Amino acid sequence: MSAWQVVRLIAGREIAERVRGRLIRILTLVTALLVVVGVALPGLIKSSSAAPVKLGLVGPSTQALAPAVTRTAGAAKLHVRAIDVADPATARDLLVSGGLDVALELTGADTAVVSVKQSLSASARAVLQAALDDVHLRSGLALAHVPLAKVLPALTPVRISETIVKPPAPDRTARTIAAIAAALLMYVSLGLYGGAVAIGVAQEKTSRTAEVLLAAVRPRQLLVGKVLGIGSVGLGQLGVAAAAGLIANAFVHSAKIPTSVILLLPAFLVCFLAGFALYAFALAAAGALVARQEELQAATLPVQLPLLIGYLLVYAAIGNPNAGWLKLLSFVPPLTATLMPARIALGHVAAWELPLAAVIMAASIYGMARLAARVYAGGMLHGGARLGWRAALRLPA
Amino acid sequence: MITTSELGAEGLEVFGLRRRFGEVVALDGVTFAARPGEIVGLVGRNGAGKTTAMRSIMGIIHPDAGEVRWRGRPLHDGARLQFGYMPEERGLYPQMPIGAQVAYFAQLHGMTAAAAGAGARHWLERLGLGERLDERLVALSHGNQQRVQLAVSLVHDPRLLVLDEPFAGLDPEAVDSLSDVLREQAAAGRAILFSSHQLELVERICRRVVIVDRGRVLADGTLRELRQRLPAELRIRVDGASDWAAALPGVRIARTDADGVVLVVEPGTDTQAILRAAQAQGPVEHFAYETGGLVDLYRQMVSG
Repeated sequence: MSAWQVVRLIAGREIAERVRGRLIRILTLVTALLVVVGVALPGLIKSSSAAPVKLGLVGPSTQALAPAVTRTAGAAKLHVRAIDVADPATARDLLVSGGLDVALELTGADTAVVSVKQSLSASARAVLQAALDDVHLRSGLALAHVPLAKVLPALTPVRISETIVKPPAPDRTARTIAAIAAALLMYVSLGLYGGAVAIGVAQEKTSRTAEVLLAAVRPRQLLVGKVLGIGSVGLGQLGVAAAAGLIANAFVHSAKIPTSVILLLPAFLVCFLAGFALYAFALAAAGALVARQEELQAATLPVQLPLLIGYLLVYAAIGNPNAGWLKLLSFVPPLTATLMPARIALGHVAAWELPLAAVIMAASIYGMARLAARVYAGGMLHGGARLGWRAALRLPA
Repeated sequence: MITTSELGAEGLEVFGLRRRFGEVVALDGVTFAARPGEIVGLVGRNGAGKTTAMRSIMGIIHPDAGEVRWRGRPLHDGARLQFGYMPEERGLYPQMPIGAQVAYFAQLHGMTAAAAGAGARHWLERLGLGERLDERLVALSHGNQQRVQLAVSLVHDPRLLVLDEPFAGLDPEAVDSLSDVLREQAAAGRAILFSSHQLELVERICRRVVIVDRGRVLADGTLRELRQRLPAELRIRVDGASDWAAALPGVRIARTDADGVVLVVEPGTDTQAILRAAQAQGPVEHFAYETGGLVDLYRQMVSG
């Protein structure tokens, strides 16, 4: 049998064992549901916050202000719906019940009362103030017998046009979210599936299954098969969750995913796969060190630490995507998986940098796989005691 | 001890295996063989080196020195696919259904999926588990789990069986069943090497016995050969007397038990004189050579 056939057999067993479990199906379903909820919710909330401000105009004199209010509201880009209300008591009831957001009552020639249920937003206050001032000014001019036509030009709002001096990168928010999501995804999936690799290896080692296996196949084939199999299950689950999220997004229109972010996805996928492979082999090595499954936590700690650091550093990277330290660190293999996507999304990455990082990662993955194989094969000799990392590195090839 | 001239070019041969783990010497020059059609029993106490020797044969451990040969040639990975191995403790996946599991290991040894499935069904049926192919290993009793382990070692039709304590924890029925399988396999021309503490069992089943202690081979041969190497033992029971033999010349007391006293007779000693001495003590109820069982042999070898 060729090495590839062996790897495929082993990977197939890992996949079958996990897919066979009912737990995994439930987990996939739950994850997909969570993603759907997470995606749909913002969309649903947004639609409610885009609702117009319900403004009650109390009394006939106030109701005459309706055109003025609409005008100033339009200028301030605030969506207002003016509703005629008979008296203050009705207004009060409507405010409490939610039928109105704000109630306005002209109490005199130059006084007015604004009623709200709990608080008045600054933008609403400004709009009302502007509307009242405008009407006040017009009536004052009329009383002073100034022809409106002459003064109208002075009354129209001054046109302001915006000039942005340092425009942000297009879709910056979306890209930031993408970078964070990629790092978070890496962290979570390694916790789940990388953990599964460690547990599986530890179980084989402590139960002597490893002995029977090694009598027939090479340790490297075993581990590659394991990582491939468990990684495939993980990828499949993520794929299901992602598909669910995208479908939900299409229905609810929560977020429009910019093309620039979609173009990032192939690079993100490569970083993810490389990072997963590196950490999975490291976790396999950790799993091969233990003599009892209870020791797994302690053994995997040295692997979990750089992963956590890599995740946390992404937040620092977002603030300064072209920093020198970030550039350097993004080539350090344990950190590449999370930092490189952040740089690709938000910073400037030169054409030569990606192939270099790829080569470094490939070499690291290869080295880690070999180490894991050595520890797996050698670790069994020390049946009773747990091997330390240093002793493991000294094992013969 | 095996001499070079006895070694054929067939089967398994192990030469001068040495292996230490830190301070502990596990193997200190172990040499023996298991030929096709032979059942060889590897006997010794815990820590004697049996498991280490077997792991060396299976390539799980690399010896510091020495050689393992198969069919006259140095052993390599490909040849190991022809071996069936059963480790001392359960080496299987607890959550995997047993039918699929046996087939999986068969495939790892190079069988096609179809042949592996058929082989798994055949062996599990043969070992009494035909009705339970879809059950997970963890749902079976210890004895049944061991049967599955045995099936894994047999399914790919191996030329050599290496079984580490295969009888441990089995009830008498299971012991008989396993013994039958091993005899059958030997009759079919397989070479079988197994280790055990149960010396009576080894005596019953094995053709050759290899006694190891502290990493060395103390004895290697058929039971008859081994018995011949030891000095004669005389068991004498005198009614009413027990401590009479202490002063006798030319003998040494090996042990005393409820059935009398066992004397080791030095060559040249007149056994009739011993008989007369016994008769002088009282009615002699038993006076015969002891045909040492393996238990006695082992005790003598290890202590002597």
